Order: sequence, then structure tokens, then C-alpha cells
Amino acid sequence: MTADAAALDILLAVLLVFLVWRLLTLSDLFKATILFIVFGLLLSLAWVRLRAPDVALAEAAIGSGVTGALVLDALRRLGAHGAVDEARPLRLNLARLSGGLLVACLGAILLWSVLSLPAGWRGLSAEAMAAMPHSGVTNPVTASLLNFRSHDTLLEIAVLMLAVLGVWTLDAEPKPSAEPAGPILDLLVRILLPLMVVVAGYLLWAGGHAPGGAFQGAAVLAAGGILLHLARPFYLGNHVIIRLVIGFGFAVFLAIGVMLVVGGGRFLEFPSRHAGTLILVVEAAATISIALILLALFVGNVREGAGRDAP
Amino acid sequence: MTTAAWMEALLAAPLAGAVIALISGRRAAALVGVVTAFATAAASIALAFAVSRSGVLRYAVGGWGRPLGIDLYVDGLAAVMVAITGVVGACISVCAAGYFAPKPTHADLPSDKHDRAWLYWPLWLMLWGGMNALYLSADLFNIYVTQELIGLSGIGLIALAGGSAISAALRYLLLALAGSLLYIVGVELLYAGYATLDLQQLRDRIDANPSTFAAAALMTAGLLAKSALFPLHFWLPPAHGHAPVPVSAALSALVIKTGFYLVVRLWLHVLPGLAWAHLATLLGVLGAAAVFWGGVQALMQERLKMMVAYSTVAQVGYLFMLFPVASVPEALPGALLLAASHAAAKAALFMCAGSVLAVYGHDRIRSINGIGTRMPLTAVAFALSGISLIGLPPSGGFAGKWLLISAAFAAGAWWWAAIIVLGGLLSAVYLLRALAFAFLEPPIAGFGRAPWGMEATSLVLAFIAVGLNFAARPLSELLNAGAG
Repeated sequence: MTADAAALDILLAVLLVFLVWRLLTLSDLFKATILFIVFGLLLSLAWVRLRAPDVALAEAAIGSGVTGALVLDALRRLGAHGAVDEARPLRLNLARLSGGLLVACLGAILLWSVLSLPAGWRGLSAEAMAAMPHSGVTNPVTASLLNFRSHDTLLEIAVLMLAVLGVWTLDAEPKPSAEPAGPILDLLVRILLPLMVVVAGYLLWAGGHAPGGAFQGAAVLAAGGILLHLARPFYLGNHVIIRLVIGFGFAVFLAIGVMLVVGGGRFLEFPSRHAGTLILVVEAAATISIALILLALFVGNVREGAGRDAP
Repeated sequence: MTTAAWMEALLAAPLAGAVIALISGRRAAALVGVVTAFATAAASIALAFAVSRSGVLRYAVGGWGRPLGIDLYVDGLAAVMVAITGVVGACISVCAAGYFAPKPTHADLPSDKHDRAWLYWPLWLMLWGGMNALYLSADLFNIYVTQELIGLSGIGLIALAGGSAISAALRYLLLALAGSLLYIVGVELLYAGYATLDLQQLRDRIDANPSTFAAAALMTAGLLAKSALFPLHFWLPPAHGHAPVPVSAALSALVIKTGFYLVVRLWLHVLPGLAWAHLATLLGVLGAAAVFWGGVQALMQERLKMMVAYSTVAQVGYLFMLFPVASVPEALPGALLLAASHAAAKAALFMCAGSVLAVYGHDRIRSINGIGTRMPLTAVAFALSGISLIGLPPSGGFAGKWLLISAAFAAGAWWWAAIIVLGGLLSAVYLLRALAFAFLEPPIAGFGRAPWGMEATSLVLAFIAVGLNFAARPLSELLNAGAG
């Protein structure tokens, strides 16, 4: 590692800790939210430095982008009163002190155990690389997510679905008063939206051989939807079409898994000749569903009726 | 069908049911839910028979096999947990079909909630699928994902009650996230140390180094928070006390047991190589504290549902008294029998509380005069499940405590036996206090209609709790169903 790279790493580490400290202690929640988004972007840089570009993409798109938009939107709904947390800046009391000590102990234990691990660790990468020719794809991350550990990914898509169900169980909010979108936002939507659809499609396709895949593609697609919602507010509700699209990715994934059993194989055992096609089908279906799920989380549960805005 | 086929069915059926219920929406969700529930319950009983006939089975999902892929694994322990979940889950589904049906009879479910009540079905089937996947998994990270599935669906289910349940649901969310975080850090340390996530391979490779101890401690702490062992129980009473009745029943009877099961799996099957006698004693002591704290709190509750919720805090304590005596062969069957009878009896008690709530419009213990004459079915169900929770013969609670007490004496640790007996007395006090108001006072006027579905289901569950008295032998046989 060159001295420049080392300096960059140290700078990143210091900045990350500083940002967390600032965003936890600021009383202006809007500033804290912006710092949170910056934190996510820097964290994705850290993933790049760790040579995990797939994780970096997901962190930037979902951890920083979609989550940041969600927090900003929540802040807007809190209104002027919610924008300042009066409990902040946090003063030291007994509970916080003991909490801090607990976290410090936890950190010390983690540091100690990480230092005691054997050096030059390879994990399962040798096994994974040996199995790659049968996985149907050439990107090891996609092979792990969609083939070696497809059972995990199936259940994770279910977890995303549950998040939307959770939003639907809450009381519907009254529609926020819609302000007309400015001409710049309108223009931005016109230019960006088609681009975002293309990028999402590219990420989905690229997942087979390069960093990318369903989650990253879906995040970009959802970001497009959010942008559109900001310019021309629309509400999703939970009509049958919406429910169908939200359940689609999971249903396709599960159905393929079960059909492979009916065909005499094991659950989710993709025959290596068709694995690439099956993975692409699963990822395409999942991209559509995850994008709508993320968008539905942002749009939220808005009470119907009170007159739709002009499109 | 073979063991493997039942495992596939137990994984896929509830998940498929959930997504079909989601897509079909308000009109058909309940129908899909009940059909799926019975199919899943049948499969879980079939799995228990298949395991007792042909022994344990390892199943490589996706055909890759450990350590690269994810293995499923079923042995007697997993089969017992799946069977408990199946039987009690089917009863809860029947109860829920009436409870969430579109008619405003329930005081704790405001009528504007009814257009959302169907969401119960996809959430509940996901929860069930998550529990099955957890019990059948042999992979530490996969188990983490199943816990997320269970946690998130549980939160949605609690929130269905609306109102004050929302803050209880949020508290549960934060707790579940903190528990998951501790668990996943432990999993990462183990993976970093041994390059596998498979339980069996970890067992073979484990050695006592600092990183392993740290991992074990972190994972155990996370799991204890999820199983609401004293003093990490604070989130349980509000969550279980405010949720809709079938949800309280599912959370208290079934979901709590997933954390307990994982601690058992971890310490008895994965990490027995670590010298953990002190931790076992600590778990036992915390269990004993839970028995007393939960019992005293239950005694002080004004509301029936809250009393039943605090009783869970106490009952979780008995389960953890397994660990200090775990070397004795009777101990594990005893604890599992207690877990099974608690699952049935606690689900029954929550339904009794729900029936009372529906008829009286409230569940204040001091004013439930005359349920003995007004609602004889509910009163009988209440009494029978009480017998099992107290541990009077004949009941599953009695048989389970008997085995645990014998194990305590065999281990030369009579004090655990004394705590189990004293805890039984304490639960007798709070259960009989509630029952006394039910029988001694004359009935008063002004009642709602009794929800017969809920009453009948609670009675069935109460009979199951009592009938488990005779399950000790088959349970031991199933647990020993060979490494064949």
C-alpha cells in the first residue's frame, strides 16, 4: 500500500468517526440528516477501499440515497417544531454514561478479538471460486447472493415485503399539501427519469459479470420514482396491482425454487446449464418488486379521498 | 413422503401462503391463511413422525452443501419445536379467522382498523414461515435472516392493534434490532475465526480463544434479549399486552421460544467444547430471578392480558433453568415439555382474556365477576391452562417440571428444584386470584356476545396443555431419534 492510500484511509476513518459524533450531537435535525447522507457516501468510499464495490454501490444507493430521502421526508412531515431536537445537545447523565461505558467495553472486546484472529485469512473465497463455473454467472457476489446462498436472499426479499406491510398497518396520514413543482425539478425529472431507467436496467444486467444486481438496480429505479413523486405527487395505496407487483419478485423466486423440487432437484438448486437464465429472471422480477417496495416506503400510507392533485 | 419433502413443504408452504394472501387481499386472505395453516400444521406433525422413524437429516439447499451453501438440518429438537409451532399455530389461525373477521365486536380493535385487519394473514404466515426456517436451519447467518423475518412480521402484527400498541411495537423493533446486532457481530467473529457458518462444522472446529468467547457472549446476549429473560424482559409485557389477541398468543407462545431454542442449540450443540459452567449457572440464576419477578409482577397487574403477559416473563425463567442441569438426560425433554405446554396454555390464556374482553368490554381482573356462569367454556379453558402453568398433575406443565426437578436432584442441585416448586406456588396465587373473581361473584348485566370460535379454540389448547402430561416418553424418544 502506498503512502497516499494509507493517508486516504486514515482520513476516511477519522472523518467517519467525526461525522457520526457530529450527527449524533447536533440539535438541528436537518443538518444532522445531511451529515447522515454524507456519512453514507463516505462509508461507501470505505467499502471501495476495502475492494467491495458491490457493497459500496448498495451503501451509496440504499444506505445513503434512499434512507437519506426517507429521513428527510420524515423530517418534513414533523414540520417546523420537529426540526430541532430540544433534548440536544446531549448532556452526560448516569444512563448515558453507563451506556457509553458499555459501548466502550464492547468496542474493546471487538478490537481484542479481531486482533486475536489469524492473519492472512481467506474465508471461503477458494471454495467460491472453485464453484463459480457452475454458478451461471461470473460475478462472485451475484453467485453468492443468487445461487450459493439463494435461500438467504429469498428470505431477505420477504423482509423487504414485510417493511411495506408494516407501513400499511399504521394509521394513514392526511395528504400533505402539494406545492407545484418548480421548473427546474420538472426539467430534472424529464432528463433524469429515462436515464435512471436505463441505468437500473444496466445495473441489473451487469450484475451477472460485474458489480451491480437487483438491489442496486432497484435502488436507482426507486430513486427515479421518488424524484417523480417529488415533482408530481402520486399515491400508491394498496390496490391489487400494487400488491401484485410488490409480491411479484418473491413469488417468482419461491415458485422457481419449488418447481425445481417438483422437477426432481433440491429446493433452489439451479441446474448449472440454466442457472444464468434463472438468476436473470429472478433478479429482473426482484428489481421491479424492490423498486416499488422502496418507493412505497417513501410515499407512505396516505389517506385516500381528499381530491387528487392534477397530474 | 420423505423427511426432505416435509422440510421443503414446511419452508415453502407458509411463505407461499403469505404472498398469495398478500396478493389476494381483503376478500380471500383469511381463507388462504386458514388453509395454509392447516397444511403447515399437518406437515409439521408429519415431519416429527418422519424424524422419529428415520432419524436426523441434513439437506443442502441449492445443492451446494456447507460451507459454501446453506444446509438445513432436522433432528429431534428441531422437529419438536416445529411441531409445537404447527399445532399451536393452527389453533391461533382458527382463533384469528374469527377475531379479524369484518365485524366490530372487539374492544381492543377499533372499527376503523377493520379495513386493515386482513394484513394479519400475510404477516402471520411470514412469521410462521420464519419460525420454521429458523428451526430447520443449520447456518448461523441464515438463522440471522430468519430472525429478521420473525422480528419484522411481529412488529407489523403488534402495530395492527393501533393506538398505544404502536409505541410497544416500536420498542420491540428497537429491542429486536439491538439483539440482532449483537447476534450478527458474534456470527461474523465466528466466521472470521473458522471460515464456516455451519453449526456442525463450527462444533468440530471450535477452540477456546478470546474471539470465540467474545462471539459466544455477544450472540447469547442478543438471544437473551429476544427471549425476554430477566432483566431483558422489559419490552415484553407492553408488546404482548397491547397486541391483538391472536398476535399476543403467537408472540408469547411461539416467538419467545425461538430465542430459547437458539440458546439451547448454541450451547448444547455448537459450543459444548467451551467450559461454560459459570454461564450455565448465570442463566439458571437469571431464570430463577425471572420466575419470581414475573410472578410478583403478574400478581400486581390490574388487567388480565397484562397478567398473562407477565406470566410469560416467569415461564421463560423455568426454561432457562435447564442450563445448570443440562448434563442430566431428563433435563432437555423436561424443558421442551415445559416449552410445549407453556405454548399451548399461554395461547389458551390469551384467548380466554380475549373472550372476556369481547364479552365484558374490558379485562380488569377485579370486575370480571361471573365468567364461570356467563362463559363456562372460557372458565374451564382458563382453569385447565392454569393447572398446566402452575404445574399440577395431570398436565404437561407438571410432567415437564417433574423431569426438570428429577434432573436437578440427579445433578445434586436441589435448590433449582426448590425454586421450580416455589415458582409454581407463586403462579398458583396469581392465577387463582383471577379465577376467584370469575367464580365467586354473581354475574352482572350488560354483556357482549361470546366469540365462540375463540372460546372453543382456547378450550382445545387447554386440553392439549393438559394432555401433554403423557407426552414425556414420546418426546424423549423423538429427541433420541438417532444420529442414524
